Amino acid sequence: MDNQKKHLNDRILIYAVIWSLSYVGSLFALKTLEIPTEAGIVLTVITVLAFALFIYKYYRSIFFMDEVQIKIQMEAVVIAFSLGLLLLMTLGLLDLVITLNKNDWSYRYLVPLFVAFYFFGLFISKRKYNFDDEKHD
Amino acid sequence: MKNTIKIERAKKNFTQAELADKIGVSRQAVNSIETGKFVPSTVLALKMAKVFGTTVEVIFQLENSD
Repeated sequence: MDNQKKHLNDRILIYAVIWSLSYVGSLFALKTLEIPTEAGIVLTVITVLAFALFIYKYYRSIFFMDEVQIKIQMEAVVIAFSLGLLLLMTLGLLDLVITLNKNDWSYRYLVPLFVAFYFFGLFISKRKYNFDDEKHD
Repeated sequence: MKNTIKIERAKKNFTQAELADKIGVSRQAVNSIETGKFVPSTVLALKMAKVFGTTVEVIFQLENSD
């Protein structure tokens, strides 16, 4: 079971790395290089497809998880979603009061924060269910 | 909810990993259930009872707080 889970995690990790690299690569290329609009759109579509593939694989992996893992993932996503909404709401309201620097708070910089929120949620949820890797035999 | 999984495991001389393998979950899931952090589904509880050769009521008992 643990080997199957490790294999599954490895595959999801590969798709996550592919998406991350395509996102960072596109970000770098679109920001620093003078790329024609058509090429920019192609880069964006590639990044979106990489993300869609990663999410699809993540979603599929749920079917191979046990009930504790499913609950942990669900709670991690709920925490991440709530924190993400909180951040967007705060920035949206603040933007009406003070002028936020778009170079600091652009949507593209919020993506890593959402990923961080997910891992924060995962950490909290794993602790809650005592879902660690230590042996307790 | 309290449980006697650790006792039942000791009777059968199973490790967490062996029990996990028999009921089709991860070892960490068995640890979560055994330490009372997670209440398993009816199906999983019945699988455990079958592996231990006992009933669900013997393995899981309600507490006053439940």
